Amino acid sequence: MKKFQLGEFEEVVLLTVGVLYPDAYGVSVKKEIEERLSRKVSVGALQSALKRLEDKGYLKSSEGEATQERAGRPKRYFTITALGRKAMEYTKRTRDELWADIPKIALHPKMTGI
Amino acid sequence: MKAQEPHPPRFLLKFFRWFCHPELQKYIEGDLLELYSERLTKGSKRKADWGMAGDVLLLLRPSMIRPVQSVDYINPHDMFRNYFKVGIRNILKYKVFSFINVFGLAVAMSLCMLIILMLADQHRYDAFHEKKARIYRILTDYEGSRQAYATSPYPLAAALKTEYTVAEDAVTLMPGVGGDASYQQRVATMRGYFADPSFFHVFSFDLVQGDKKTALTAPYSVIISKTLANQLFEHENPLGKVIDFSDRQLPFPLEYDGLGAPPVNWGSFTVTGVMDEGAYKSHLAFDALVSTSTRQALINEKKAEDLSNNWEWFYRAYTYALVRPDKNEYDLNTALADLVAHKYANLKFDQVKGFNLTGQALTDIQTNLQGNDVNNRLPRIGYYFLSILAAIVMVLACLNYTNLSTARALTRAKEIGVRKVTGANRTALVFQFVSESIITSLLALGMAVMLLLFIAPAFKGLWVNQYLNFELPSSFEVYGIFIGFAMVIGIVAGLYPAFHLSLYQPIKALKNLGRSGTGKLGLRKALSVSQFVTSLFFITTAILIYQQFKHYLEFDYGFTSKNIVNVQLQGHDYRKIANAMSTVPGVSTISATDLIPAGNTNNNCDLRKVNTTGDYFTMGKLTTDENFITNLDLKIIAGKNLPVVSDSSSRFIVVNDAAVKKLGYAHPADILGEVFEAKGGGELLEVVGVVKDFRYKLLINQDEIEPLVIQNIPSSFAFLNIKIESPNLMATVGKMEQTWKRVDAVHPFRYQFYDQQLASMHQGVFDLVSILGFIAFLAITIACLGLLGMATYASERRTKEVGIRKVLGAEDASIALLLSKEFMWMIGLSIAIGAPLSYFVNNLWLQSLPNRVEFGMGILTLGVAILLALGLVTIGSQTWRASRAKPVDALKVE
Repeated sequence: MKKFQLGEFEEVVLLTVGVLYPDAYGVSVKKEIEERLSRKVSVGALQSALKRLEDKGYLKSSEGEATQERAGRPKRYFTITALGRKAMEYTKRTRDELWADIPKIALHPKMTGI
Repeated sequence: MKAQEPHPPRFLLKFFRWFCHPELQKYIEGDLLELYSERLTKGSKRKADWGMAGDVLLLLRPSMIRPVQSVDYINPHDMFRNYFKVGIRNILKYKVFSFINVFGLAVAMSLCMLIILMLADQHRYDAFHEKKARIYRILTDYEGSRQAYATSPYPLAAALKTEYTVAEDAVTLMPGVGGDASYQQRVATMRGYFADPSFFHVFSFDLVQGDKKTALTAPYSVIISKTLANQLFEHENPLGKVIDFSDRQLPFPLEYDGLGAPPVNWGSFTVTGVMDEGAYKSHLAFDALVSTSTRQALINEKKAEDLSNNWEWFYRAYTYALVRPDKNEYDLNTALADLVAHKYANLKFDQVKGFNLTGQALTDIQTNLQGNDVNNRLPRIGYYFLSILAAIVMVLACLNYTNLSTARALTRAKEIGVRKVTGANRTALVFQFVSESIITSLLALGMAVMLLLFIAPAFKGLWVNQYLNFELPSSFEVYGIFIGFAMVIGIVAGLYPAFHLSLYQPIKALKNLGRSGTGKLGLRKALSVSQFVTSLFFITTAILIYQQFKHYLEFDYGFTSKNIVNVQLQGHDYRKIANAMSTVPGVSTISATDLIPAGNTNNNCDLRKVNTTGDYFTMGKLTTDENFITNLDLKIIAGKNLPVVSDSSSRFIVVNDAAVKKLGYAHPADILGEVFEAKGGGELLEVVGVVKDFRYKLLINQDEIEPLVIQNIPSSFAFLNIKIESPNLMATVGKMEQTWKRVDAVHPFRYQFYDQQLASMHQGVFDLVSILGFIAFLAITIACLGLLGMATYASERRTKEVGIRKVLGAEDASIALLLSKEFMWMIGLSIAIGAPLSYFVNNLWLQSLPNRVEFGMGILTLGVAILLALGLVTIGSQTWRASRAKPVDALKVE
């Protein structure tokens, strides 16, 4: 049993929401990911990831201000919850542990030429 | 946002708003617009548009789509009240239409309710058993049987209990107790089963007196019913009393006439329990239960057969198994299949091929009649038949509602328009119209309950019900089902009109432009035509079956049945009774037979010429005394009558004309003196006479008269045929009864007039006429009501047109014709479809019926005439009224 369900893309979104604190909303998260990871992110994929994360309780959202370029539609700001932080920490720790346990030789096979 | 600024394509946003989850919609829309304006600054509008289209399309995924139900929770209570109010007002405003709708639905509903009552009545049977869900009756079946048998081999229960683990307990109920019980000077008939102590463990019958645990243990113990106890003991305490019992092999559990053997004294029985049989509604009914241990004593005295190892006779006992709580029907059937595989591997008898045993749930027994069953009930096919008829009538009534509601769409169009303009969505309107039709159907329910007060007694009065015993009491559950049923009907009937009406566009509805298109009129016509086709079919079928019934009643059997009384001998020697009866004044001649010719029962025998090796010929067999042929006015066409015989020799036989031909003789005279042998040996038979063919089988079973052998075997006689010559039949019968009482004081005098007896054989057919006639009446009533509604509406709508035409000089008659034309055309079409349909379908089943009437033009014409007359009167009443109206009034309309 996995303790925390967190997909790769979800993890990226969660981390980005953290990075952008307190200004994480749809467009800013999308831009940030596209910039940092140089990959295309569609609104659909992002929004459904955000919804999933919110449903899991890793994110919470609040209604923000409306701007002119949004034609009066409010923004929706996301922040990481305590549970979200735990999930992130857990993922990071498991990755670190895995990294730590890889024998050096596995990553540098050429150095062991016979 | 300034007007000149470019904006994204509207349909994209519209599409997005349509599918997006309402909770997320405004935020994501904001994101989309922000991205759009950013794209605009970077590139062309076209590029931005495409970018947005891609975003929107990629948003179309399950997590983003709105849930099916609306998420706006507005308190709908006020709206419900409004729907209700408007519904009631509409019903009151259009009284004629409402009445037609309510009445049509009520008529059909009352029929459906009758069937619900029947099923509810049957459902009450055997509901009192605590373990009813675990009790199974074991059915026997074999290859080539017509249906499974309710009976099973006698040793089955014991084997199930000892050799298998599936059953917690099992009980064998063995019929075979049928005779006279006597206590001091009182005598009463006692019929019942042999049962073992498991009976009270499996079933939840209780004893008023006595101990359930021990009542069936000791030999010669008997549990009697309260009624029997009252007959035998009156006010004494029956418990522990000793009664004498002589068995007469009275038929049980199914009673039929004529049988009963001379009494055999079984000895004295101790009453160990009294059961209040009236307190239980069960498929099992009996006067007495005798302990199974008694059987061993009877077997020792050679008064009963030992069946404890007989696996071949599956028709003598009933087995009920109580399955363990952790097992189910499947486990039981597996065990039974295994048992059959073991026990029947080395047995050889007629039915061994495909022999199998299966469990039938106790709760299924009452509505699923099997062969050899314990009582007469409506078989399952009967329920299907009635349900299909009721369903057809119900569909007709629903079509009426649908038809009239859509026809009246225009009168509601304004209301729909206003509702839509003030913000009602389609769902709300559908809901409104459905709730209106539910109100209508609930009103119909009220009327149907009243109609049921008339129908239910009529149904209970049908001839068949004396065998079926439907009681039709009502209860709260039944009324609950009725209300649920009415709601369902309301929804079914109202759904199409609701969707149809709510489709109106507000602008059109308010401008009142809409004339309903021809397509919809076509649908309505089709519905109406189908109603009339169905009606015509029922009418002609009912007439046909009535003709068939009359044909049977007036049938020439080839013998005289008038003034003949058939008396059951009830085990007495026929000479004793015949001698006594011949002294009764008014009696002319007396003969004796083993069964009633042309009645329910037949016997067969297989004959071939003596000293030949050819095939045996199967022929009907009747045993009569020497007076039979003259008494029934049968015509001897060759040879002479049966001679008087002693009990020791019955060599001489008389055959009928058909037998002469079957046995291969050209002339009746050729067969005289020929000697035949019967299959299975026995005495050789010599033909002494030939009688003209007469009907000796039930008309409904036999088309051609089959070959028959008449033999004189006095020991087999069960009936006397007493011909009465005095004009006062009843007085003579009264004297005969007194004479009977002198010979046999115990058993009641049982007799039937032969002609009435023959007529009653076909009483079931008349019940079918009653049912079908009633259904036909309902169908035509509903169809005419629908037609009335449509004609009324059409003439109302064309009032102005009629006025103008009259002002311009049109005649009343020509206007009536103009208004009726459309409907007459519909009736014409119905007849054109219905008449051939009825002809073919009815001929389909008629072909397989023996002694049938011809289904010809006469019946069809009569049916068509009835339909035409009713249809024309219906249309005429409306159109004539409209055409006679004063033009001034007509023009002032609106």
